[in-house]
Amino acid sequence: MDAVELARLQFALTAGAHFLFVALTLGLATLVAIVQTRATLTGSRVHMRMTRFWGQLYVINYAMGIVTGLVMEFQFGLSWSGLTHFAGNVFGASLALETLVAFFIESTFLGLWIFGWDRLNRWAHLALIWVVTLTAYASAFWIMIANGFLQNPVGHRLVNGGLELVDFGAMVANPAALTAFGHVLSAGLVVGAFFMAGVSAWHLRRRTHEQEFFRKSLRLGVGVSLPALFLTASFGGVSFDSMQPTKVAAWVNSPERLAEAQAQMEAVHGPGDYLPPVGAVHAAGTVMMTLFAVMLLVSLVSVVLMAFRPAVLRLRPWHWLLTLMIPIPFVTTIAGWLFRELGRQPWAVFGLLRTSDAVSPLTRGQTLASLVVFTTLFGVLIVVNYWLLARTARRDPGTVALGASRTAETPEPALSY
Amino acid sequence: MEIFVLAFFALGYLVLGGQDIGVGMVLPYLGRTAGERREAIAAIAPFFLGNEVWLVATAGVLAGLFPTLEGELLSGNHAAVVALLAGWVLRDMGLWLRGRLPGGRWQAFWDGAVVAGSWVLALSLGTLLGGVLLGLAGPVGIVPAVVVAVLFALHGLAFAALRLRGTLRQRAGVLSGGAAEWRTYALTAAALVAVGVIAGTRLDLASGATSAFLAPVVAGLIPFLVAAQAWVWWTFRHRVSGPSYL
Repeated sequence: MDAVELARLQFALTAGAHFLFVALTLGLATLVAIVQTRATLTGSRVHMRMTRFWGQLYVINYAMGIVTGLVMEFQFGLSWSGLTHFAGNVFGASLALETLVAFFIESTFLGLWIFGWDRLNRWAHLALIWVVTLTAYASAFWIMIANGFLQNPVGHRLVNGGLELVDFGAMVANPAALTAFGHVLSAGLVVGAFFMAGVSAWHLRRRTHEQEFFRKSLRLGVGVSLPALFLTASFGGVSFDSMQPTKVAAWVNSPERLAEAQAQMEAVHGPGDYLPPVGAVHAAGTVMMTLFAVMLLVSLVSVVLMAFRPAVLRLRPWHWLLTLMIPIPFVTTIAGWLFRELGRQPWAVFGLLRTSDAVSPLTRGQTLASLVVFTTLFGVLIVVNYWLLARTARRDPGTVALGASRTAETPEPALSY
Repeated sequence: MEIFVLAFFALGYLVLGGQDIGVGMVLPYLGRTAGERREAIAAIAPFFLGNEVWLVATAGVLAGLFPTLEGELLSGNHAAVVALLAGWVLRDMGLWLRGRLPGGRWQAFWDGAVVAGSWVLALSLGTLLGGVLLGLAGPVGIVPAVVVAVLFALHGLAFAALRLRGTLRQRAGVLSGGAAEWRTYALTAAALVAVGVIAGTRLDLASGATSAFLAPVVAGLIPFLVAAQAWVWWTFRHRVSGPSYL
């Protein structure tokens, strides 16, 4: 592999790892916020315990989302300075707004939510989880605006070999960004909903004494999964309207469509190979759609079954099925992401900047070194964190550390001379 | 205005993020037992999430207002930036994971990750600042890196002296003599700001085409971001007397 291929592999591995954690964060944050709202409004003890249990899993997952995200944030300047040089004046704006209006607030308030558990007024504490959830959405929004620009550049003009932003409104209203934002957000809900249902089913299959706790959690998970699946499919379907002809051709995978798309591109950009890796794009799209059908079927059956309390408490084959479904939304999400990103090739900014022109002027050794460092580090951390997530998910909700009674600090002024 | 925005976040990170880095570096000195180390970490625990975002924001400001500089600064200091990120990830994971399992070996291992990660983070930030500041590359670049790293460690001690009690507070106050803890903190913070400002004057701070539109937006956001952070500072203004969630 040459330096470009290595830089692409590094970006793909870190972005893919980041996306796994971000998808669960988006879904689980929403579910935790819903449960905590119920707990705060009604004073229900079981909902407060649910908030702590699911909140603990959310925090374990979120920590990995942060550290993988740090590398993503710096990777543009590190490995893709050709892209920041050419298009930084346009899509850099949405990256800047992501860090400032979204992540800065999200992280600050999440720290306050975790460490200020019984130090804050309960309404203030509830407001925090909602701000954390909404800023996670805002973060996804600005990232999809940046990504949407790379997929379907709008609102710019070409000046002295670089892009300038001329219409901020057009960039923000980019259909390739907005449909993808809705698609990703609802896909995150699907991931979170199947996670909550699958973990609850595991406990119910083991005849847990926490029946009310996991019965309510399973119903919430299953109940959210169905509308979230419909939303995901709707946004996904609409996004085909603003999709590049080359990606659509690869998805349809017919020789005529591919030849037509290639000819269209050649007419505009001159001779060259403008098709993405057709087999991989087609396979990724097929995996996404097939697994969507599987999830839809399981979700439909589950929505019916959850109306019957004996089934919720005792139907072991169904419990097995729901637990085995936990990884499926993750695989589907990654397949969807591969479909979108591989399908954009050979362009970094579609029709404007080739991927091979977007990389930093680094040697192959430099890129290989950073690839090895990040892959090793994240490989180990992903294994450790998923093991911990599974271990915490299987434990009794009474053992959760998050929000356990305060031992940390006693009020005494720091100003002592 | 563009330069003010960049300086605000970068200097904010050196002072606030520097506290966490410094405490992580001197963790084996502050905490001789597992319990003491947990208490020392409680000094930074509620703040580190809100502090590290200042560097993320700095990168965001570079991407939005100074895209050309961002590319040159990061890809031009490839090894230092990769080390910085690896150290940062290691430090954060050490903090998150140390308390997840009860075993002594598990905690000692991740405490080691906090210490190693903090040192790598400090030294790579030092290399980056030294490289920009003095234009030194190669083995000579280690000198400013070590100086900056020591500055972070002292800043961490000064912050720990303000947050901890009893024996740990005494250990943290070893350099300031235990009296003027706020003055020591102000001194180390001022030194870090000075290093940051001097390094900044050596950068080519030509802002990009979008900055005329974006810089006022970002500047308008700053009061809200500071208010959010102030809520955290106010909530955790008291001294630590025991372990935290981490």
